[in-house]
Amino acid sequence: MNVVVCVKQIPDPADPGALEEDHTLKRTGKLILDESDSFGVEMALQLVDKAGGGDVTLVSMAPNDETSGLRTALAMGAAKAVLVSDPALAGAGALDTAKVLAAAIGRVEGADLILAATESSDGYTGTVPEQIAGVLDLPSITFAKHVEVADGTVSVQRQTELGYDQCESPLPAVVSVTAGVVEPRYPSFKGIMAAKSKPVDQVTVADLGIDASAVGAAGAGQQIVEVTPAPERQAGEIIEDDGEAHLKIIDFLDGLKVL
Amino acid sequence: MFEWSDEQMMVRDAVRQFIDREIRPNIEALEHGDTPPYDTLRKLFATFGMDAAARDRFKRQIDFERAVADATERGEAPPQKPGRDGDGGASSLTVIPIIELCRVCPGMVTAMGVSMGLTSAAIMAKGTIAQKERWVPELLTLEKVGAWAITEPDSGSDAFGSMKASARRDGDEYLLNGSKTFITNGPYADTVVFICKLDEGNPPAERKVLSFVLDRGMAGLEQSKPLRKMGMHSSPTGELFLSDVRVGRDRLIGETEDVARGGREGAKATFQQERSGVAAMALGIISECLELSVAYARDRVQFGQPIGEFQLIQEKLARMEIARLNVQNLVFRFVEMQAAGRDLTLAEASAMKLYSARAATEVAMEAVQLFGGNGYMSEFRVEQLARDAKVLQIYGGTDEIQITHIAKDLLRR
Repeated sequence: MNVVVCVKQIPDPADPGALEEDHTLKRTGKLILDESDSFGVEMALQLVDKAGGGDVTLVSMAPNDETSGLRTALAMGAAKAVLVSDPALAGAGALDTAKVLAAAIGRVEGADLILAATESSDGYTGTVPEQIAGVLDLPSITFAKHVEVADGTVSVQRQTELGYDQCESPLPAVVSVTAGVVEPRYPSFKGIMAAKSKPVDQVTVADLGIDASAVGAAGAGQQIVEVTPAPERQAGEIIEDDGEAHLKIIDFLDGLKVL
Repeated sequence: MFEWSDEQMMVRDAVRQFIDREIRPNIEALEHGDTPPYDTLRKLFATFGMDAAARDRFKRQIDFERAVADATERGEAPPQKPGRDGDGGASSLTVIPIIELCRVCPGMVTAMGVSMGLTSAAIMAKGTIAQKERWVPELLTLEKVGAWAITEPDSGSDAFGSMKASARRDGDEYLLNGSKTFITNGPYADTVVFICKLDEGNPPAERKVLSFVLDRGMAGLEQSKPLRKMGMHSSPTGELFLSDVRVGRDRLIGETEDVARGGREGAKATFQQERSGVAAMALGIISECLELSVAYARDRVQFGQPIGEFQLIQEKLARMEIARLNVQNLVFRFVEMQAAGRDLTLAEASAMKLYSARAATEVAMEAVQLFGGNGYMSEFRVEQLARDAKVLQIYGGTDEIQITHIAKDLLRR
């Protein structure tokens, strides 16, 4: 079984970068694998392993030719990667990203399943996986907390607020996974050393037959007009225990509707 | 090289992530509780495939040795040892975990190094193929914990001169007696390399030095509880007591009493690995102390300004950075030399250890000073590193012994 995993390389959240003049995130310098994508990579590796054969292929896009983040996923065990690397992609929105990734997925032969994270840690639009499915005209299941594949069918436990839905879809399909789906492995030293020589197919949007004016800042059809800092966290409420504190805690939790 | 390569940085980051998740949160239990370090170390090994890599290396080595032995038996010319064209930088895969572990928990490196380094090396250096296969693979993967027992209550730096531990022949077997102390992993060791003198009734100075491999639970072998010590609390250290432990020749390393230079050379064979390992440990301690100190100098405000504005504090930071640069250069040089298939001389290895151990102790003590009252408190981390660093000047040959080795090596050329 061949699995494609859509992954994103992002600036290190531990060292948040500055913004460009158009309010988009500066993406120069070293980019790392979005941690939320490591779950999809791990899921893919386990599914291929269980199927007893096949490859995990990464698909990603970036305005530059940075591959550090891809190397991490290759070190975990992915076999190869397609990187759409084009300056025209700077300032891309969700839909044009989906179109580019869908075209890149088309370069991978015999993809049975396409996995993605629920959302990226830098953009948080959370719409790309379903848009990819839309562009490719494939069935799509979101919020997977458990994934199994058998007999050409993918079975997914789809996380809901109350529990989960049991969903099934014929393959090929697009599934977006949550951070709880599997525990990502650390890359082994051997894997790290092997990652350098694994193939990364670098293509431009033109190679994919896409007009550069339809993607990135030019084609996103959107503009970031303002960026404001997130509100400071409010101080918590301190309740002195006068013997009745537990009632106040119950009231508080009741107010949150968690009881 | 002046910095780690991209791959080496990935190794570093992966190990660092493991340590942040698996070791930092458990540091209290490892340092001050009853949690031995071995399960965490085994997890580290399995996670990064270090156990599988060690098994592969061992198999290749034994296959070659067996080919040599078979050819010799048939009276043919033995196969040539593959040309030594360097390790391709593979030593960094040992050095980087040592550095990263020592930022947080240097005792774990001591426990690991003695088990998979010293103990297995003693058997690999002089053992028969059967002995290597019997004991070494599980030591290399840490499935079994190893101890290397040389030091005695009355014999430290003068290890052989004052050694009282003895082996006496008894038919085809030997009876072993003696006590050993300051034995890393002693309390938990499954496999013990016991170094002693063959007592043939001759004067002690003329007795041959022999090494035997013992297993936990053998009749007459007693392993003490961990001793309390100044630092390295995550590395269990203990005493061993042998009372008429009966062993066959199969446990005598090399299965022969005919040992070169009376057996006194064998124990020194591992000096290069051990001493360069101490430099890597020192680099971890220094790097962590420096990072913590710079952050503290920025944040800590006294007399209305961050203490980093005071020149006496700046002097400490500057000296720490100089130490870091020097020790890092020594470690990089070692990695480069291994990659080039070159060995350190005794003087180089000893100088590397002497300088690095002193630098680590000085930097860590200065970090405590820079942190003031906070530095003396466990919460701020540097006091543990200062206590841990001190032993680098004592074990693996004291500073004083390193000085004599440097000088002797220079003078005899």
